[in-house]
Amino acid sequence: MATVELQNLAKNFGGFTALEDLNLMIEDGEFLVLLGPSGCGKSTTMRIIAGLDEPTSGRILIGGKQVNDIPARDRNLAMVFQNYALYPHMTVGENIGYPLKIQRIGRADRERRVREAAAKVEMQELLTRRPAELSGGQRQRVALARAIVRTPQLFLMDEPLSNLDAKLRTVMRAELKHLQKELATTTIYVTHDQVEAMTLADRIVILNDARIQQIGAPAEIYARPANVFVAGFIGSPPMNLIAGEIKDGIFVHATGSLKVEGEPDGAVTLGIRPEDISLVATDKADLEGKVYSSELLGDCTLINAHIGKTLIAAKVRPEDVREINTPVSVGIDHSKLHFFDASTGTRRDNAK
Amino acid sequence: MKHTATTRFGLAALQIVLALFVLLPFFWMISVSLKPATEPFAIPARLWPTAPTLENYVTAFRPEFRTYFMNSIIVSGASVAITVTLALLAAYSFSRGKLIALTVLMGAVVIAQMFPHSAIIIPIYKMMRLADLLNTYTSLIIAYVSVTLPVAIWMLRGFLIKLPVSLEEAASIDGAGPVRVFWDIVVPLARPGVIATAVYVLIVTWQEFLFALSFTSTKEMRTLPVGLNDFIGQYGIRYGELMASSVMVSVPVIAIFFFLQRYLVAGLTAGAVKG
Ligand SMILES: Nc1ncnc2c1ncn2[C@@H]1O[C@H](COP(=O)(O)OP(=O)(O)O)[C@@H](O)[C@H]1O
Ligand SMILES: [Mg+2]
Repeated sequence: MATVELQNLAKNFGGFTALEDLNLMIEDGEFLVLLGPSGCGKSTTMRIIAGLDEPTSGRILIGGKQVNDIPARDRNLAMVFQNYALYPHMTVGENIGYPLKIQRIGRADRERRVREAAAKVEMQELLTRRPAELSGGQRQRVALARAIVRTPQLFLMDEPLSNLDAKLRTVMRAELKHLQKELATTTIYVTHDQVEAMTLADRIVILNDARIQQIGAPAEIYARPANVFVAGFIGSPPMNLIAGEIKDGIFVHATGSLKVEGEPDGAVTLGIRPEDISLVATDKADLEGKVYSSELLGDCTLINAHIGKTLIAAKVRPEDVREINTPVSVGIDHSKLHFFDASTGTRRDNAK
Repeated sequence: MKHTATTRFGLAALQIVLALFVLLPFFWMISVSLKPATEPFAIPARLWPTAPTLENYVTAFRPEFRTYFMNSIIVSGASVAITVTLALLAAYSFSRGKLIALTVLMGAVVIAQMFPHSAIIIPIYKMMRLADLLNTYTSLIIAYVSVTLPVAIWMLRGFLIKLPVSLEEAASIDGAGPVRVFWDIVVPLARPGVIATAVYVLIVTWQEFLFALSFTSTKEMRTLPVGLNDFIGQYGIRYGELMASSVMVSVPVIAIFFFLQRYLVAGLTAGAVKG
């Protein structure tokens, strides 16, 4: 168990910048999720913490101690690889027990701990199988058991659920969360899946373009995205972003306008979540659009509509099904508006 | 890929012709080895002897043959063991190391394998004479290791490059040092590549003639390929015994090859990583 601190971390591959001036403090026992689109530098961050890659500059501290020059094998951390990285020539039991074998833990003790770890992930029946004889979900569990069999300072997990089917992913997600709280080991978890991030994380770090975009608890990130990138990344479907201008307390758009008291004038991007939009009578419309598609999802109807040139998504009541290409009047919950600076993309009320 | 009946028939016919082309000399070797001394050049020639006999084998299996056989086993065996060990260590560095010097060295290895034996035999002979090693196993083993090592390194490097590095990374995170990673992870996974390389070295050294002829001067030190020369006399060639010996020389290598064939399939990494 330990804190992890990254100070001014940077990584270049030749002329390519994979990470730029990363600063992050991870608390003891925290479940921290690194979230971002593919190629944003998540795995690179992870590999640098693990000691598999060296940073171009910056410091890594684990438990308050700088570990830049300590090799991976002495950092006392366990990692679950994106591709599992199970040893194909060893059985499941040997795979799980390998870290203990290296620590020269006696056979009897080792076997007991292997059985315990295997039981935690419900693999105790398959200890004599080889990885090739397992399904994707089972391999995943073995990789997890190999990580929890010892008591490392830190768990690193690189998209560990990304190769599983949707149903198994949900099950494993719950198991992981439970296991992490039970073991209370600091965990850094990498994913590009925002649902995974929202459900697992104590705090989420959103990465894009080699930089941290926002750090915060899932609810906080959802409620107050720090910029248009985060706004357009979190939520399914994500927040609608509509370009317009504020003049004298009124947001003006080609298809309509709405009162926004107290907002200073200027070019802005209006952010509004699909669930904060409803279909209203024409005389009550904030904005006018044309239906692009209408999908009944069961508990709601998802309407995509063109507002001017912008395609927006709205989650409306199930009975509000609309024909394609019919005009539609859109009402917006005035208490749920987000405003971003049109040129920088950052949240306007950030300073408040 | 789908084939029409005609193309399939054509391909099969081509395969049969190729197989015959390759196998006919072997068939002829066995056939002649079973013919009585009077028969090999009977006219008209017969494909298969009317009265097959093992008498050629009995005369060919002389004490000298047994000495040659032992010599071949010692020289080839040692060459295989030394070459494969050195090649595995070198190939691992070449496949994982990032130093620019390694690229240069790998270039040297590639160039080294281009020299024909006949071009390097004289310098090596001179070195052996200086070191007073002529007519010893050591001289042949050194020569064989040096001529097989470049290809062996090349083969193993190609094999190791395809092993997922994440397995070695996982082992080092599990706490293994570099030697441990090599021994616990790389060596077991490299087994199909090691076996393929060993078979290559065995086949090259088992049939090597030029070095063996030049470096050995007494019957006690001869290897099988040179020993076969005994049947080629000044006044004639004893074909029956020559062919019987040839069969006895070939059988061990063919047997080893068949036995190890299944290990040559590089399927061992299945299930290691996704995909
Ligand atoms: N060894 C490498 N050499 C060059 N570029 C790399 C290397 N590893 C990663 N990159 C690049 O760095 C960026 C970040 O990679 P990575 O951290 O793997 O992204 P992800 O967030 O998908 O895990 C990518 O654009 C990738 O192409
Ligand atoms: Mg990645």
